[in-house]
Amino acid sequence: MLILARRPGERVVIGEDILVTVMEVSASTVRLGIEAPRGVSIFREEIWLAVREENRAAAEAQADALPSAPIDEVRGEPAATAGEVSSKDETGPQPEASPQPREAPQGGSSSQD
Amino acid sequence: MSVTFQSIRFGEVQVAEQDVIEFPFGLIGLGGSRYTLLDRNPGTGFLWLHSVEEPALALPVVPPEPFFSEFSLHMAPEDVERTGIEQGADVKLYVTVRATPNPLDITANLRAPLVIHEGRGYQVINANPEAQLQAPLFVLSDETARIAS
Repeated sequence: MLILARRPGERVVIGEDILVTVMEVSASTVRLGIEAPRGVSIFREEIWLAVREENRAAAEAQADALPSAPIDEVRGEPAATAGEVSSKDETGPQPEASPQPREAPQGGSSSQD
Repeated sequence: MSVTFQSIRFGEVQVAEQDVIEFPFGLIGLGGSRYTLLDRNPGTGFLWLHSVEEPALALPVVPPEPFFSEFSLHMAPEDVERTGIEQGADVKLYVTVRATPNPLDITANLRAPLVIHEGRGYQVINANPEAQLQAPLFVLSDETARIAS
């Protein structure tokens, strides 16, 4: 592993077109700004690991694993809405590696459907 | 024009060329670049997102709306840029499903939905803090009251 010491405002260049900027350093948090081409996916590691695990588990389903009866015969009521059943955060605390993602793009937070 | 591919689950499958969805970045941890949606359980809402290139690569998905009425997707600015999908665009949404023998144990991943737009698909991270990684798909009627209380 390459280990570099950087000060706020200094950057690391990876390859020809990936720039990592140290934005801010505080007691236990480093804020990083990452500039990369569109084709490069960037994730917080713990989220990436959790989603990979869900995808892999989902892909293990056998052909007959799904309910064969229409939904209304299987369930009583729709499941509780997201966030109501469990408040446990599966991904743990989010490092402040980038600006808080709570704001949806274009200034509003509405669903895409 | 149609596309024929092999599936370890369903044998030989034929779909229309326009039903093939390109996933430029694949699925997280699974890869795959060309998928299609198979309706093998009509009326249930469950579909199979099936690779047209890898016979073993397929996973169950559902549209979130019928199951999670308050589901909403918040795309981070970097995902909007990466996918080129603007807020309010005409998209189809699906969430991956962990199938289990007991329907009450089936969960859906609301944290990383699939966004499909004009023949292209992306798995994005839902920045909505309420989106669960393992959201139960079904609950019993009487349990609904119990859980809510």
